[in-house]
Amino acid sequence: MENSVDISVEFAGLRLSNPVFTASGTCGYAKELGVFIDMNRLGGFITKSITAEPRMGNATPRIVETDSGMLNAIGLANIGVERFVLERLGELAEMKAAVFVNIAGQTVEEYVKLAERLAGEGAIAGFELNISCPNVKQGGITFGTDPGQVREITSAVKAASGDKALMVKLTPSVTDISAIARAAVDGGADALSLVNTFTAMVIDIKTRRPILANRTGGLSGPAIKPIAVYMVNKVYSEVAKERKIPILGMGGIRNASDAIEFIIAGASAVAVGTGSFVQPGCTERIVDGIGRYCSENGIAHVGELVGSLAV
Amino acid sequence: MEERTSGCAGKGVFEAVVVSNRQIGDTFWKVVLEFSGEGAEAFGGFQPGQFVQLDASEAQLPPADKIPEELADAAQRDILLRRPFSFTDVTRHGNKVAAELLYCVVGPATLRMTTLKTRSKVSIVGPLGNGFSPPEGKKLVLLVFGGMGTAPIQHVGKALMTGEKKNDIQIVAFAGAKTRRGLPFEKLTDEISEQLGFSIREFARFGMESMIATDDGSAGYHGLVTDCFTEWLKDNKIDASSTIIYSCGPEPMLSAVAKIAKERGIACEVSMERRMACGMGLCQSCAIECRVEGSDETVYKMCCEDGPIFDAQEVVFGH
Ligand SMILES: Cc1cc2nc3c(=O)[nH]c(=O)nc-3n(C[C@H](O)[C@H](O)[C@H](O)COP(=O)(O)OP(=O)(O)OC[C@H]3O[C@@H](n4cnc5c(N)ncnc54)[C@H](O)[C@@H]3O)c2cc1C
Ligand SMILES: Cc1cc2nc3c(=O)[nH]c(=O)nc-3n(C[C@H](O)[C@H](O)[C@H](O)COP(=O)(O)O)c2cc1C
Ligand code: FES
Repeated sequence: MENSVDISVEFAGLRLSNPVFTASGTCGYAKELGVFIDMNRLGGFITKSITAEPRMGNATPRIVETDSGMLNAIGLANIGVERFVLERLGELAEMKAAVFVNIAGQTVEEYVKLAERLAGEGAIAGFELNISCPNVKQGGITFGTDPGQVREITSAVKAASGDKALMVKLTPSVTDISAIARAAVDGGADALSLVNTFTAMVIDIKTRRPILANRTGGLSGPAIKPIAVYMVNKVYSEVAKERKIPILGMGGIRNASDAIEFIIAGASAVAVGTGSFVQPGCTERIVDGIGRYCSENGIAHVGELVGSLAV
Repeated sequence: MEERTSGCAGKGVFEAVVVSNRQIGDTFWKVVLEFSGEGAEAFGGFQPGQFVQLDASEAQLPPADKIPEELADAAQRDILLRRPFSFTDVTRHGNKVAAELLYCVVGPATLRMTTLKTRSKVSIVGPLGNGFSPPEGKKLVLLVFGGMGTAPIQHVGKALMTGEKKNDIQIVAFAGAKTRRGLPFEKLTDEISEQLGFSIREFARFGMESMIATDDGSAGYHGLVTDCFTEWLKDNKIDASSTIIYSCGPEPMLSAVAKIAKERGIACEVSMERRMACGMGLCQSCAIECRVEGSDETVYKMCCEDGPIFDAQEVVFGH
């Protein structure tokens, strides 16, 4: 049935077997999710954020559940770029999915150093730039909230990325996400991914303290989906469509219907994060469901759906 | 602790059928789940101390008048994530596997679990994490536990007393609770532990000695289970090198047990708990600070993947 439908996508110069990615920080380094699904059925895989030096991450509690969502403050815990290359890149090289390494830092130089270190690695298809981090040289202002900084960091990393695709991951905790998207595209981004989590807080009313050790955390899951869909549509219609830059849409996706909503809003591909915690097999079902939707609706190629919002 | 068994061979998402679900004492419930097919294969190898992630999001809330007042507000919360639980027993019946899950009603998910009906289906991810290591070369196994910590301890005790080495080991269990009604046991007997007045039938059945400590003295020792345990250690000459302690319960209790074990040079394993988003190594939410042998450094290990069973001396307690 699905044979007649083409769900492969062209994304940032890459040919992907389908538009479904796993989101950064929600699938370990790959082998952890590989216990539950056939990783080769994914269109793309994004690693958790990798930093120049290993990071222990925050104290616990690192997560708390909220209505239809959850807050996390993991603190970019990761093994650092050198151990990542040595211990984890091998298993990623064997994967059919396009591998994006999510990179994070505290200074522009740190991001550039990471890109330079990884640009020669054949296993990697591209980078996802996590700009939801504080810039220590700019008084801790989050890179991703200031168009000037976004442009600067994007072009600096682009110059260091060789032939790797560069995707910039936008934080939704901004006034005008299109202004940030425009800055990333001006800086040379090949793709945009949105959204990262929304900064949020949960308070224990018995102790009057925040539940998370880090006080605040990022809200993800179904609770953010309608806002994420809106933001994807806004960035698509105000920036990405005209500049021909693909969007990786995410935020609360649990099933194919959710994914298709993002695609109609303007996403060329989608990523699943929190959804995999609850149903580790949901990405595979989403791949199948997108194919089924296309064939049932007479859509020959999934690309026809992108940005097809009726207005 | 090299010997720890990992269940990752058959881990997956399985559907279990509810066989029964009933209340025990004031706050505990026991649900019996049955696995067949691939689920039975996976859970046939479930090791005491491992755990599962249960999806309670589709279960109904009990009627308003059955919801304890202190949980009325929490009951309104939607649940998204699965919840981690241990099993108190896993038994094979032909080509099916039955697992007993003992749970304490503390929030929206466990409240919903009370309405699970016989023959309804529940989605379970597991077996997850590592079990207790087998007590190689040990003759005496001491089980110290409180509250929700009962499940893995009851399981490891029974597994040892029905296993190959049952004649080589002696087990003494120490159970703690706030009050007698807060104990997750159906019947207490006074057959074995006359000295303290009560013992636990679930343990006595398998030839384990057991004693109870309650904060209010309504059953057994009046006071903390760790104090009861310390007194017992004073009164009973034991050979530390052939003894091992398995412990599960609130973190301050585990911390006290770890200290007692260290002072006496007794091997000790603890079952740790953390808030878990995934339970399967995807998210890194369940960090446990651990000492690195031979250095002052500490690292975070993941409760769900590296644990939940840890060497007591490795863990930096404080949560
Ligand atoms: C490995 C493991 C094994 C477990 N085994 C059992 C078991 O056999 N039986 C049993 O009754 N419970 C067990 N638990 C605890 C159980 O997972 C929680 O009680 C359950 O998630 C509560 O869900 P809820 O929605 O009812 O309440 P929630 O509202 O989620 O929790 C109620 C309160 O409990 C606290 N809490 C919840 N989860 C945790 C956690 N993981 N760590 C620390 N505090 C927490 C919070 O303070 C919260 O306010 C286990 C936990 C772990 C990590
Ligand atoms: C536990 C957890 C860890 C995350 N870690 C990262 C990270 O390291 N880097 C990053 O860019 N985004 C991270 N994210 C954000 C996700 O990649 C994603 O943008 C967000 O969760 C929204 O999608 P979802 O609702 O499907 O989870 C994390 C999210 C969660 C829930
Ligand atoms: S709970 Fe997700 S890694 Fe342990």
